Amino acid sequence: MDVSFVQVALIFVVTFIAAIDQFDFLESLYQPIVTGAVVGAILGDVQTGLVVGGTYQLMTIGNMPIGGAQPPNAVIGGIMAAVFACSLNMDVNVAVAAAIPFALLGQYGVTLFFTLRAPMLESFRAAAVKADTKAITRLTVISEVILGLIFAAIVTLFFIGGQAFGETVVNAIPEWVNTGLSAGGGMMKFVGFAILLKIMMNRDMWGFFFMGFGLALIAVNIPAIAGPALLILTFIGFGIAFWDFQQQTELKGAAFDGGDMSDGI
Amino acid sequence: MASNEFVVPAQYEDLTPAPQVDSKTLNRMALRSYWLQSSFNYETMQSGGWLFAMIPGLEKVHTNKNDLAASMYHNLDFINTHPFLVTFVMGIVLSLEQNKLDTQTIRAVRISAASPLGGIGDALFWLTLVPITAGITSNMAIEGNIAAPFIFLLIFNLAQAACRFGLMKWAYKVGTGAIDALTANMQAFTRAASILGVFVVGALTVTMGGTQINLTIPNGTTRGLAAHTVVVNNKDAENFADLEGIDTEEAEPGTLALTDIDGNALTAVAGEDAVECGIVDLGNGMSSVTYAEVTETEVNYSVASTLDTVLPKLVPLALVLMLYFLFAKHNFTPIKGIVLLLVLGLLGAGPFGLWPSIW
Repeated sequence: MDVSFVQVALIFVVTFIAAIDQFDFLESLYQPIVTGAVVGAILGDVQTGLVVGGTYQLMTIGNMPIGGAQPPNAVIGGIMAAVFACSLNMDVNVAVAAAIPFALLGQYGVTLFFTLRAPMLESFRAAAVKADTKAITRLTVISEVILGLIFAAIVTLFFIGGQAFGETVVNAIPEWVNTGLSAGGGMMKFVGFAILLKIMMNRDMWGFFFMGFGLALIAVNIPAIAGPALLILTFIGFGIAFWDFQQQTELKGAAFDGGDMSDGI
Repeated sequence: MASNEFVVPAQYEDLTPAPQVDSKTLNRMALRSYWLQSSFNYETMQSGGWLFAMIPGLEKVHTNKNDLAASMYHNLDFINTHPFLVTFVMGIVLSLEQNKLDTQTIRAVRISAASPLGGIGDALFWLTLVPITAGITSNMAIEGNIAAPFIFLLIFNLAQAACRFGLMKWAYKVGTGAIDALTANMQAFTRAASILGVFVVGALTVTMGGTQINLTIPNGTTRGLAAHTVVVNNKDAENFADLEGIDTEEAEPGTLALTDIDGNALTAVAGEDAVECGIVDLGNGMSSVTYAEVTETEVNYSVASTLDTVLPKLVPLALVLMLYFLFAKHNFTPIKGIVLLLVLGLLGAGPFGLWPSIW
């Protein structure tokens, strides 16, 4: 296909913005219904772009980033589908299907990226210790720019290299690296949990931790309440905490007016 | 790693409540909240973006530099909430910071308020607003209507902005209003908040803990007899006589048999039912022959289902407890914990095909 330098540059910019927008900012510019039309306009075929964007969008409904899970990446998938349809004159449905391996690659990439970005927290902590608010802003910008650049570079390469290139890359990554990284990434939240426990825990609180664990096990296994389980559990936890608060404050009040003498102790 | 030596004090140095934060600062915080996931990572999830969003408010309420540092540091705790509802948590936390509550209380309230919002937000936005607006506009787009993307963006972002700016102000008002009642019983409140906090972390271990050992170990084979029934004419039925007296315990899989080594009729399995083998003369010159085929199926021992019979989510629980132990008793740093988990993940996946993946 013949693409001009301007078109490559525009695809780069659009992907850069969409990559950031998928997690931050308006969190809607990245949706395929938008990127499809934009990519279509860049490649000179808005109508096809609209149709392919709408088709891809319908496919991704119900495939949203819920509960921290990573669905096949809609940024790469949506943009590549529009690229295939507009520049290779693929049928809309074929273009959407052909884009799926790229979306999966994006999903792996995001998982890997979120895993590797964890050490960056150390820089945030170092800035916090110095109360350096400007550094936090700087780190935030750097963090976003890296994300945008990685996505933009990958999509631009695919845009120039085409479909065969994408499949080669996907097949070149050994299976165990994928599995291992996503397993490691999946476990990383436990570090955050353990640190929170370290802050809040003292000897007589373990019972509440295990109560939360046990009740959650029950809740997630009842299909009717599995969705809002965490909200329901928080209500229960709130009830227990509130009860404890009342016990503590009433005991204090009772001791204050000597009321606890009546039971003869 | 100088940062790891930093210990967040139990109390701020300056305990005088700060004056009310003006509405312009609240708006700046709501604007910054659009970048909540800017530093999203698997260790503390949204914490970097959360701190970024909180900074205008924190700068207003903590004029003491040491206090600001302590506050910024503990605002980097693990947090995962819904991006569009985060300002609700921000408003509450800001009111606590402003009144200089104990740092442990603020941390416990933050995780307890933030976590359940994730589910509500997912239900409201990803499962309701997006499917409806995107569903309608996608069909418009497929028909070639250029207005479709614009309508989608407009509806979605009006809802989003209303949530972010509205919740910020409302939650801050609620938080500052409730603060007096709470500060009167500070110790009890901190205890109660911590109870809710550890309770929620216990629940999160289940709802977000997806790690499982999916290893299956081949555990020999089991032998069985599968019944087959054919209808043949009486003459052909006699040919089945040589299937009598077969030792089905020793025979190769696939061997056919009518009776066992002692000449007794075999009982074989057809679907769910057990049927007796033998030849039945149907009386019309035809016979119905039921014979057995020796089958051999592999038995797999599943680690996951065994673990689940002990306790579901045992692996996430064990990992959290192990990490807690390493952090609390062995002064492990978070980064060491991360490296440990990555190595565990890669080793478990069977590097270079040395052993089967356990994930």
